[in-house]
Amino acid sequence: MQVVVVLAHPNSDSFSHAIADRASAGLRGAGHEVQVLDLYALGFRAAMSLDDHVAYHGDHPAIDPMVADHGALVLGADALVFVYPTWWSSLPAILKGWLERVMLPGVAFVFNDNGKVRPGLTNVRRIVGISTYGSPRSYVRLINDNGRRTLTRALRLNTGLRTRTSWLGLYAIDSATPTQRSEFLDRVEQKMRSL
Amino acid sequence: MKVYVVYCHPSDTSFTAAVRDRALAGLRSAHEVRVSDLYADNFRPELSAWERTNHLSPPDAKPEIASYADNLRWCETVVFIYPTWWAGQPAMLKGWIDRVWVAGVAYELPEGANRIRPLLQDIRRLVVITTHGSSKLINCLEGEGGKRIVTRSLRVLCSKTARTKWIALYSIDATSDAKRAAHLDRVDKAMRSLR
Repeated sequence: MQVVVVLAHPNSDSFSHAIADRASAGLRGAGHEVQVLDLYALGFRAAMSLDDHVAYHGDHPAIDPMVADHGALVLGADALVFVYPTWWSSLPAILKGWLERVMLPGVAFVFNDNGKVRPGLTNVRRIVGISTYGSPRSYVRLINDNGRRTLTRALRLNTGLRTRTSWLGLYAIDSATPTQRSEFLDRVEQKMRSL
Repeated sequence: MKVYVVYCHPSDTSFTAAVRDRALAGLRSAHEVRVSDLYADNFRPELSAWERTNHLSPPDAKPEIASYADNLRWCETVVFIYPTWWAGQPAMLKGWIDRVWVAGVAYELPEGANRIRPLLQDIRRLVVITTHGSSKLINCLEGEGGKRIVTRSLRVLCSKTARTKWIALYSIDATSDAKRAAHLDRVDKAMRSLR
């Protein structure tokens, strides 16, 4: 499988980076082709600019070369893996902006002859989310896991009907012991190996 | 009432800009108003590595957010005006929440405590005025992440009795001019009668 891993954490020595490394190791170990998009390291711009917004409604929405490259990768992917810390029950702005700027008309969705929106990501068979949370699991449930919903519902609606989603979360990370952290990394690698 | 309007849209000719103008007209007739325009401010939505590492440091060390923090402490109502993209706030606005609603502004984590304590207890109303490309039904299927970030994640940092109000125009691309005009009137009226 062709797998695109989208990573959104500002610190290169973060636990999210460790997760992305182990996820990639698991995926490569199973023979998959992996492309990691480290959004902060790439200097990806989160905000949709006025120029982006004007182009969005035209024939060529991807005016930023990086955005066009990422769009092409997404269209060639069998699986998308998202690795990020949950902030304010949702995606970090840079990842939210990646959805807005890369998941354009012609990539994530297309308009049919009647002008209705139809899924564009029928090539994507798996969506995987791996996130860390400051809050314990019960509190995340109570407040709602909006980042998870954005990826497993809003993005999922733009894939094929049979696309499956999976989720791995490390909750209450600030009080997690080194053993719990390393067990979580093992779980990530194992899960990716058997994708 | 002291009302803080946070406006987020890249285009000044957008419908969201028209909503802002009507909202401000309504608000200014009855309330004391401050406004932040995140695109006009050229706000940087990406939380930096330094900010992540120092996320519990006092806000005095973060001069870029000082004016926004002042407005949050000053106001009794926050009105968010933005288009809903990918089921939530635009990255620009999510980044503003990531970077401004920090320790010392929105919450504190006292020594030895395991739960954060809210600091924005003067805020008793949170209002969202937004537009959706998709229908109410699709929004429900997607889990309404943007709504829950405000009504749950942000609300718990405000007054215990804080109330939320959601003013939305769904399926905007398919709405008639009459419906858009009716929405603008509704916004004006709701802002005028805000209590």
